[in-house]
Amino acid sequence: MSAITQTEEANLQLDTQGFAIVVDGLRKRYGSLVAVDGISFRVKEREIFGLLGPNGAGKTTTVEILEGLRQTDEGRVLVAGIDVRKVPDKVKGVIGVQLQSSAFFDGLSLLELLDLFAALYGRSVDAMALLEKVDLKEKARSNVNKLSGGQKQRFSIATALVNEPKILFLDEPTTGLDPQARRNLWELAQAIRTEGRTIVLTTHYMDEAETLCDRVAIMDHGKILAMEPPDLLIQRLLDKGFHSQRVERSANLEDVFLDMTGHGLREG
Amino acid sequence: MLTWSSLKAYFRNRGAIFFSLLVPLMIMGIFGLINFGNGTPTVNIGIVDQANNQVSQRIVSSLQGIKAVKLHRGGLDSEKHELQQGNRDLVAILPPSVGQGSTAITAYYNQGNPQNSQVALAIMNQFVDRASFAFAGISPALTLDTKPVQSRNLTYVDFLVPGMIALSIMQTGLFGVVFTFVQWKQRGILRRLMATPMRVRDFFFSQLVTRLTTVALQIAVLLAVGLFLFHFHFAGNLLYLLIVGIIGGGIFLAMGLAISGASKSEETAAPIANLVSLPLMFLSGIFFSRSNMPEWLQTITQYSPLTYVSDALRSISIDGASLWAIRTDLLGIFIWLAIAVVIATRLFKWEVV
Repeated sequence: MSAITQTEEANLQLDTQGFAIVVDGLRKRYGSLVAVDGISFRVKEREIFGLLGPNGAGKTTTVEILEGLRQTDEGRVLVAGIDVRKVPDKVKGVIGVQLQSSAFFDGLSLLELLDLFAALYGRSVDAMALLEKVDLKEKARSNVNKLSGGQKQRFSIATALVNEPKILFLDEPTTGLDPQARRNLWELAQAIRTEGRTIVLTTHYMDEAETLCDRVAIMDHGKILAMEPPDLLIQRLLDKGFHSQRVERSANLEDVFLDMTGHGLREG
Repeated sequence: MLTWSSLKAYFRNRGAIFFSLLVPLMIMGIFGLINFGNGTPTVNIGIVDQANNQVSQRIVSSLQGIKAVKLHRGGLDSEKHELQQGNRDLVAILPPSVGQGSTAITAYYNQGNPQNSQVALAIMNQFVDRASFAFAGISPALTLDTKPVQSRNLTYVDFLVPGMIALSIMQTGLFGVVFTFVQWKQRGILRRLMATPMRVRDFFFSQLVTRLTTVALQIAVLLAVGLFLFHFHFAGNLLYLLIVGIIGGGIFLAMGLAISGASKSEETAAPIANLVSLPLMFLSGIFFSRSNMPEWLQTITQYSPLTYVSDALRSISIDGASLWAIRTDLLGIFIWLAIAVVIATRLFKWEVV
């Protein structure tokens, strides 16, 4: 390696310090379709970063590249300082992944599954403590298919935490959940961030992004249209003279729903 | 750890275990009870004509006239060999002196299959009585000397059990793998595993161990049922049987992986798996001997992977063959294994694209 590239490497180290994820000029094609069209962004450490966009915008592809599940065509991707392109397996070791359709082997209990996942990372884990964290201690010996939707998502997050990941990827974690379960999951996400982990979240729920995310990137057609804290994006829109058709009140229907049915979780 | 979890998960699925054993057992039960092989009432008589004169030819042609007799003509050694193989119920020797005064016809009969050999003996006795008067006039010129011969007596079950073992090896490999993998792929289980630093070869190793354990279990159960319920004559080495079963299982595992790799859903995977398994099932001599097929079909089907496996299993369990004795079958099995593995690595995909 020449002296110049060594300096570049050194600059890169400085450049990327304090960032959990660095993406520069990422491009990905499927045949003639450009799924991700040269995007660049950075996710700060301990940040909850939202990736928003309609279906087909390219956010799933982006996330899958960050997770080491897909090859990149062009661009530089560093996850926890590791080049995903060069050592995807090393990246997999320091991140936690909760997938949209997370199913698990039938026939194993939650405890056994957590032990299994820990083994896949080459470590052992206090499975019971992990289940306690996601409020599933009573279900420790059950099968996954005996869990409710919210419980499944929480268990899925527990499996993503077995390796004490620096960065946690949550892919539409609250889709299909009732309001109580959603709020419960938000609390879990915030608790995980408090432990010092970075969270990358994709969601179709704008209220979720608004509540949880420090910053969001809005994607469409493989490009990032905007990347700011939610409040700032809203303020910008208002500054342009935007007026909602809807009459804003200080409470909405969800507040009514939760007021009547309570915040307690409804799960068998 | 992955292997252990996979075994645990698999064997907790009692339904799957039950069916992986039930189907071959059911087929064995049905075919074993019907007992196709022993349905024919004809007796096989071998004639060794050492005289080959007018009189002996008349004896042969009159024997041929008896409906229940299937007459085979041949040399002494070959006919005696056939008798030992259980393919003749009785072998009668017409000495050169037939037609020249009092002559003894020697008849060897199969004492291990008394039902048929008694019929053959009765026919011969009657025939000799009648013939001797007719040929020689006053006194019985021909007498019958009978000598018992012990031979192995294969029943249809002896043919069927190794075939059933081969069949269940194929079904476990193909369908077991195809359905689980396609399901895992669709439900995102494989994707979730790929998001961990799991090594791919660990994953396949765990699957291999799980399936091959099932295969070994199936062999044991089928063998036990064959031995205790159907009086299966097992003459071979159990270890050899397991070795061939497990290597053969590998072929169908790889085929199953290839099919689940190529198909996106269970709806497409099931017909493909059937398309592979049904012809193999009926053309590989599982239920019936391939010798009943037209010759051109025999030529083709001798190269079927299931033929190699079932022939090898049959040679081991019936003839007590060593691995060296079945080296041709083993070679065929290994070639198929190589082909299947290559196809599987080409076609297998981790996710629904």
